[in-house]
Amino acid sequence: MSQFREHIRAAIANPVLQAALDANAERRVAGRIRAFASLPDHAARRQRARAVRAEVIANLDEVLGQFIAKTEANGIVVHRARDANEAIRIVQNIIGAIGQSPRPKLIAKSKSMVSEEIGLNEALEAAGQRVVETDLGEYIVQLRGEKPSHIITPAVHLRRQEVAQLFHEKLNIPYTEDIPVLTETARQTLREVFLSANVGISGVNFGVAETGSLCIVTNEGNGRMVTTLPPIHIALMGMERLVRSTDDLALMLSLLPRSATGQKISVYTQLIHAPRRVNDPDGPRERHLILLDNGRARLRTSPLEEALYCIRCGACLNACPVFREIGGHAYVGADGRAATYPGPIGSVISPGLFGPNFAHLAQACSLCGACKEACPVDIDLPKLLLRVRSGQLPVNSGQSRAGGAGLPLWVKFGLTAYRRIATRPRLFAVMQKMSAVLGGSMAPADKWIHLPAITGWGYSKDFPRPAGRPFRERFQRRDAGQTITAKKETAKVVGKTENTLPQKALVEQFCEELRALGGQVYLAKKSDLAGQLVSIIKVRGIRQVQADEPSAAILADLKESGLLVQREPNPEIRAGVTLAAAGIAETGTILVTGGEGRPLTASLLPEIHLAILHIRDIHPDLSKVLNLREVAEASSAALISGPSRTADIEMTLTIGVHGPKELHVFLVDD
Amino acid sequence: MRLATFEKFRCTIYTTMQKTVQLFVTCLVDTFFPRVGEAMADVLARAGAGVDFPADQTCCGQPAFNAGRWQDARPMAKHTIRVFESAHGDVIIPSGSCAAMVRHGYAELFADDPDWLARARSLAARAYEFSEYLVDVLGVTDVRWDGALTYHPSCHLLRALGVDRQPRALLANVHGAEVVELPSAEECCGFGGVFSVEHPEISAEMLRRKISNIENSAAPTVVTCDTGCLMHIQGGLKRNKKPQRVVHIAEVLNHV
Repeated sequence: MSQFREHIRAAIANPVLQAALDANAERRVAGRIRAFASLPDHAARRQRARAVRAEVIANLDEVLGQFIAKTEANGIVVHRARDANEAIRIVQNIIGAIGQSPRPKLIAKSKSMVSEEIGLNEALEAAGQRVVETDLGEYIVQLRGEKPSHIITPAVHLRRQEVAQLFHEKLNIPYTEDIPVLTETARQTLREVFLSANVGISGVNFGVAETGSLCIVTNEGNGRMVTTLPPIHIALMGMERLVRSTDDLALMLSLLPRSATGQKISVYTQLIHAPRRVNDPDGPRERHLILLDNGRARLRTSPLEEALYCIRCGACLNACPVFREIGGHAYVGADGRAATYPGPIGSVISPGLFGPNFAHLAQACSLCGACKEACPVDIDLPKLLLRVRSGQLPVNSGQSRAGGAGLPLWVKFGLTAYRRIATRPRLFAVMQKMSAVLGGSMAPADKWIHLPAITGWGYSKDFPRPAGRPFRERFQRRDAGQTITAKKETAKVVGKTENTLPQKALVEQFCEELRALGGQVYLAKKSDLAGQLVSIIKVRGIRQVQADEPSAAILADLKESGLLVQREPNPEIRAGVTLAAAGIAETGTILVTGGEGRPLTASLLPEIHLAILHIRDIHPDLSKVLNLREVAEASSAALISGPSRTADIEMTLTIGVHGPKELHVFLVDD
Repeated sequence: MRLATFEKFRCTIYTTMQKTVQLFVTCLVDTFFPRVGEAMADVLARAGAGVDFPADQTCCGQPAFNAGRWQDARPMAKHTIRVFESAHGDVIIPSGSCAAMVRHGYAELFADDPDWLARARSLAARAYEFSEYLVDVLGVTDVRWDGALTYHPSCHLLRALGVDRQPRALLANVHGAEVVELPSAEECCGFGGVFSVEHPEISAEMLRRKISNIENSAAPTVVTCDTGCLMHIQGGLKRNKKPQRVVHIAEVLNHV
């Protein structure tokens, strides 16, 4: 029996995994559908998003050229890696160039499937470095010595009991199944890692060619941590993950979080442009971008090109009835090696990028099409899976070129025999009669035959007995004649609603959305803003505040309140105050930008983030805000939508993983 | 003119213009479920169509196509195209997945063969799934049924052909039938052709969930437009000694 089959059997026999997968499928699919209900034109957006990705992939060399030129002009060091080994070597060279000390370097990582694809952790650890995953789910699987079982929710296969036991053993805490306590433990442990790491490694969700922006989306805030605190940031990116413009990015961002986690927007959406500039109070002094090919260029010129449209939202995994039964870890190559990318998209890109070793994965699919339906860029996954099955891989050899990789020999033989029969109608009719005789002898008393399990079919169902007289013997020709009453259906026309709101309505929408995300909103007059703010800080017993320059200017009397106010980051400080550059009504989001006098850490490191937002700066949607000059000019900008959150343990929403646990927004009318 | 009279008039006009349709009953109906083919032929005839059956038809080639053995699928597709090229009129198929095979799969099989691609396209243009043809081309028929029904939308019909409104409209017009919603109706039953043989464990789990949803619907009869699903779900019900019955929509519409 193949290793794949063994993994499948083990997964189905594992009740813990089955419960976890059922919960994942049900909640994620429902969440996605709910999230899209808030986007009335989602069907049209989906087609536009597909067109955006198709155009980029068709003109990849040109778009990539523009993106690289722009990122380099912004001060990011760009590297291109043809394959996994080259990418690893580039990372090692960057790390090797740090100082002379032979001590192992500490590397803090936020989630990156590309790093999983190239086996980066193993390579760095083998070279003596210490690598720590900081996404909660990823951290859990790393502590367990496992691989992620899902591209978005790495620990989806575990229950809280496993996490409790793991933290008890590895982090020396008393055994507890209290998810907030487990999350807080990870927060404390990983906080040390963020603050002392030599290098931060992140993935990239989208690169924007026109601006050179690296867009990274996270909920926990670890993405912001690893790209802000360590002196060196390395971003790893598949070279196809591009859009041309910020408008295209806004379109993608309206689909990605909805598809991935059922959120209108993720808590943190970062746009990174440059390393720390001369007068910036924080940020890494070096930023590197590694653009990985690793089979992508080859895939682009193959019949599987469409797979490159993928934006890695994981919706197809959640929708797939097969993934729901077997989970991500069951997807293994013929040699038993784990496929980095599982599920429907994984069954295309794993063989597409890494070759025939993974071709048989595409056979574990009933071609039901739920994946295509869920895909935010409408990738025709059933078509691509069929192409993989038929052997149309970019690199293929030997037997799998003939198609049907993974099929048992007897099935291949049977299909060929059936073809020989079915192309000869007379033989076909004879075989029908013979099968009826055979079937009759197997099940003389019933119309259904109890086949043994070894036949595959007989494993769980009976097989119909061929009819004694097939249809071809029964058919009698009918001429056109008699009529019946007919009713015509009338098509319903669904109206479209416009979404333009006056400022007052924008404020209301902003407040409603942010509160739904667990943020606090206050309407404040400029005169008593400082008083309100200080009381929130003081009631929590906080004496020291990190404030950016613009907010400090508004809050002239902040220092008179007896609080210690400073601009520089300090992990001991529990409250951060910033002026938000803009707000987004449709998602309850605020924009903070890093730059001179504006530390990014003020909205990241403290437990409590207090932001001031001028009502005039509230915009209706994401697209307007992404196109603001402040975003383009910032060395790094972050869209913040509520307090830091995670659902990595049993999909239980928990507030405050790595970023602030509280977000207070003061709306000022002036 | 009163509307009803006009409707009748329109139908009569329509019928006299109506050409004979060609049944492509599929290998499963031909071999295992001839009653479905008979019901389909009856319903079409009652709707006023002439009904013919090109006797050289066999299998559309979907099993080999889905399994990735396109070298086996192509000769079967060519055979099917040839058979229906020599028969005039629309081609009616009592199976969403076989109809999807003819409409979309053939284009994929012959993507690099312009000659056969053109022939495949011209067959695709006149090939219809049965319920789609009834509703979209002929109009809805009034029929009788006693008891509760629940509808299983087969994957290829629903998602590959986008046909869902039509069978539901047909069932909604069945007199005497109470149509109840099948929980998680749009989930695959786990058939998927060779998949159900090659990955019996996964297929079994999917089937188990479908059967439990059927039980939860409390309907004694499940209707589908695909004999692949019918064979699979009924086979599972039989194995588990469940009383529910799976029928093809043609059988419901022919239940007079």
